Amino acid sequence: MYRKVILLLCTTLLCMGISAHEMTPTYPTWGVSHVEGVYKTRIALFNKRADVEFYEIGVFDDTWGNVPFVSQYRIVHMPYLSHVNIDIYVSLADVSKAKYVCSISKLRENSDKKPLVSSRICSKFK
Amino acid sequence: MKYLVGLLLLAPLSVMALEVPIEGTVQSRCVIETDTPGVYGNPNAYTLTTSPTDGGVVPIVRFDVTLADAYKAKITHPTSFSASPTLNDTQTWTGSTEVSSMSDAGMSGYEAAKVEYGSSTEFDLTVAGSTWFKTSSSATNGGDKAFPGGTYRAVVEAECIAK
Repeated sequence: MYRKVILLLCTTLLCMGISAHEMTPTYPTWGVSHVEGVYKTRIALFNKRADVEFYEIGVFDDTWGNVPFVSQYRIVHMPYLSHVNIDIYVSLADVSKAKYVCSISKLRENSDKKPLVSSRICSKFK
Repeated sequence: MKYLVGLLLLAPLSVMALEVPIEGTVQSRCVIETDTPGVYGNPNAYTLTTSPTDGGVVPIVRFDVTLADAYKAKITHPTSFSASPTLNDTQTWTGSTEVSSMSDAGMSGYEAAKVEYGSSTEFDLTVAGSTWFKTSSSATNGGDKAFPGGTYRAVVEAECIAK
C-alpha cells in the first residue's frame, strides 16, 4: 500500500535543464535624472531561465530594509532569452540609504515546468 | 586606360559591401545557473529526501563570476513545501549545501571557509570562475505518519550578492 503512495510522492525538485539568471553591473552608480531631486540608475537583466518569465526588482538598505523607488515595472515580464534594461529612480532623501538593487525570479506555483530554484542577484552601490 | 577600366569594374563591388555591426560589453557579472534537476526520493512513507541512496537526486546550482572577490553566494535549503497536498502533521526539515565542483584550484578553500546559519550557507567567491554547489534536503513527517499522496515541491534559494 505504501509503495503506491511512495511512487506518487516521488516528486521533482527541479526539472529543467541548465538555465541562468544574469544581472549587470556589479557596482551601479546613481546619476541625475530629468527630474530635479531624483536620481537614476540602470541595470541590465538577461533571462536564460526557460522556467521563469517574471523578475521582481527591489532596492534595499544595508540592513536589507526596503528603500522606496520607482521603475516602470516592479515586476518585469522577461521572455526566455530576452535582455531588458531597467531604469530605477530614487529620491535625493533615499539615495544615500540605497545599498543594494536586486532582481529576484518569480516562480509560478502551478507551472508545469516546476521551477524550484529561486534565484536572486544583488548589485551594490558603493 | 586599362587601369581606369579595371577601377570602374571594381567600383560596383564596393557598393555591394554591407557592414552589420555586432556590439558587446564585457563587464563584471554574476550568473546563477540551475545545473542539475533535483528529485525527492522516498525511502519510507514519512520521509522525502534528495539523498541518492534513497532514490533522490541532489540539485546542483552553478555560480559564474567574472570578477574575483566581488560576490558572495548564499544558498538556502527548503524549510517548507511550496506546493503539497493538505498535510496531516508538522515536518522536520534538514539540509545542507556544499561545494560540488570548481573551475579553479584556487576555490578549494571555499568549503572550509563557508558560513552556515539557519538554513542558509554563505560562500565568499574570492576567485573568478565557476563553482558548483549541491544542496541536500530532507523532510520527515511528524510522528512518522505517512505523507498524504500527491505532488510535493520545495524551493532552493540561490543568491549572488555583490560585496
